[in-house]
Amino acid sequence: MRSPFDRSMSWLIRGRRQAASQLLLLPTSVWLALFLMVPLALLLAVSFLKRGAYGALLWQPTLANYHRTFSPSYLPILGRTFAFASATTLACLLLGYPFAYFLSQFVRGRRARDFMLVVLMLPFWTSFLVQIYSWMIILGREGLINNALLGLGLVAEPIQFLNTRGSLLLGLTYSYLPFMILPLYSSLSKLPRSYIEASKDLGAGNLQTFLKVTLPLSLPGVMGGTILTFIPCMGDFLTAEFLGGPKTYLVGNLIQNQFYQAADYPFGSALSAVLLVLLFAGLMAYRWVENLGATSLGRAKG
Amino acid sequence: MEEILAALERPPLLRRRDFLKLSIAALVPAFAAACRRGPKAREINFFNWSNYIGKRTLPEFEKRTGIRVNYEMFSDEDEMFAKLRTGVHGYDLMVSDDYQVPKLRALGLITPIPEGAVTGLANLEKRFLDPPFDPGLRFTVPYLWGTTGLGFNKKHVSRPSSWRVLWDEKYRGKMTVLDNVRDGIGCALLALGLPTDTDKPEHLAQAKELLVRQRPLIKHYTSATYVDELVSAEAWISQGWSGDVMLAVRENPDIDYAIPDEGSFLYVSSLVLPAGSEHREEALAFMNYSLLPEVAAEVSNTVGFATPNEKARKFLEPALLKDTRVFPDPKTSARLRFYGTLAPETEELWARTWQEVKVS
Repeated sequence: MRSPFDRSMSWLIRGRRQAASQLLLLPTSVWLALFLMVPLALLLAVSFLKRGAYGALLWQPTLANYHRTFSPSYLPILGRTFAFASATTLACLLLGYPFAYFLSQFVRGRRARDFMLVVLMLPFWTSFLVQIYSWMIILGREGLINNALLGLGLVAEPIQFLNTRGSLLLGLTYSYLPFMILPLYSSLSKLPRSYIEASKDLGAGNLQTFLKVTLPLSLPGVMGGTILTFIPCMGDFLTAEFLGGPKTYLVGNLIQNQFYQAADYPFGSALSAVLLVLLFAGLMAYRWVENLGATSLGRAKG
Repeated sequence: MEEILAALERPPLLRRRDFLKLSIAALVPAFAAACRRGPKAREINFFNWSNYIGKRTLPEFEKRTGIRVNYEMFSDEDEMFAKLRTGVHGYDLMVSDDYQVPKLRALGLITPIPEGAVTGLANLEKRFLDPPFDPGLRFTVPYLWGTTGLGFNKKHVSRPSSWRVLWDEKYRGKMTVLDNVRDGIGCALLALGLPTDTDKPEHLAQAKELLVRQRPLIKHYTSATYVDELVSAEAWISQGWSGDVMLAVRENPDIDYAIPDEGSFLYVSSLVLPAGSEHREEALAFMNYSLLPEVAAEVSNTVGFATPNEKARKFLEPALLKDTRVFPDPKTSARLRFYGTLAPETEELWARTWQEVKVS
């Protein structure tokens, strides 16, 4: 017996593929239109306006906000943010890959794997502020690490860990590591064991098997993780606010300040728009390269 | 491990300018409040700083008047302002800092207090009766006041007499500066001996130059975490607000508070009436209630900020009243000034200068 739902679904789809798929897409399309496209259009519109008295919006079209974004005072912030996001992504990759590899290849049994994945996600069930404050307790001048170092007589004066480039990088890496590990894990766990066995049968060593079989097949996971880590990192401001110092002011902080402290919505919108365009261009470039690779691969096969 | 547990068990330091910008979620209660209001309900939706009210203030008010108070807190004045400006309605009563008042007025976000509706202003100290941010108190009822100064750790730093200490190479990496336009630039102007409400670009350029030199020396700009940082000796000198630093003093006896010789700012938080409120009468009832000496004293006793209510002094805890860090002595008082109101173009220039310091 088929349920009424199944029957109605098959009626919906039979011979009406296109109409049905459009109907099924409708809720998502409406959602995206209302809550993504409209706000984005507003953001773009505001970025061309002028800031009036006390942050009011003046309907005088101007490019000044973009001029300011690309001025020598503000442009380096984009570069600095890019550097931090790249470093974080790299650190996440270097830490996350071995973890995902270990989990997918060496941990047998679903329970053990599930347990480790839950442990990985556990910190994210607590408030972000609790996580940040825990880092403050660990890294502080009278924190765990400094007390241990002082106690062991390894240093005479506490080391300044907090509010440095290092503590920001640590905080960002900590925050985004799961976003790197999960796609890596999902891509590595799909890797058929028979491929690895075949490679070994054909005489490849462990290293060679990893480099020629495992790594290339896990590249989609690497890319997925990189995108999921890098993009939110470019917009991060809270981690920088708490763990960063005066030299780690990021574009996220700058944007946040425009909407609160400086009450300069047009400039904040222009910064956001530039950031969005840059990230979007990056993604498009990646897809282009990916397609290029796929076509050349296809040609080689043909 | 024990230390982590101990630190987590320590009650979180409640503070007025507690930085919880995550509280965008706070929009939800405001919306709920807006939906909730019935036609006849005797209630007010009150929007105040976190940790800025007496323990008994609200229950006592509800008991006396039968007006229900829906209390909601903010932790950052820019957040409060941004919220109001983006059109969040439903508040009937709010606390605002003095330099926000002209902005709120100009944007039509607050309404004047009806003439004669508030009694008890005579209880206030004279200097709060005709402040520059609201001459004649047409829009505001002074609620609490405090000063900007330096919190410092006596174990590591001797009492600073000048704002210039924030440029002292000796304390590199152990100082924090308020992430606030008026205090951040203000302390540079005080150090330079320039007017603290200047509209001259060359004054601001001088201040900026000085602040750019300060930036690499400090730990970070913060209006939020410095209380914790002072308590844990993570910072030795913090530019801060009196009431906040007093929280650190209560936690750690090594901490003290000083107002430098160049002088400093005195700010007033006031009750204001947000535009579009439907419970005007109830809000006015609270304004009147707040001016009662016992009520004002209880608020001040609880939160550790000074009350502008002169008649409330006899109900204050003697230790608080005697504490010159809360109620400065006449000599220090003479060196205190209001932030002063900036014209819109000047305000933008200040905001930009501060941004440029931070990104420099």
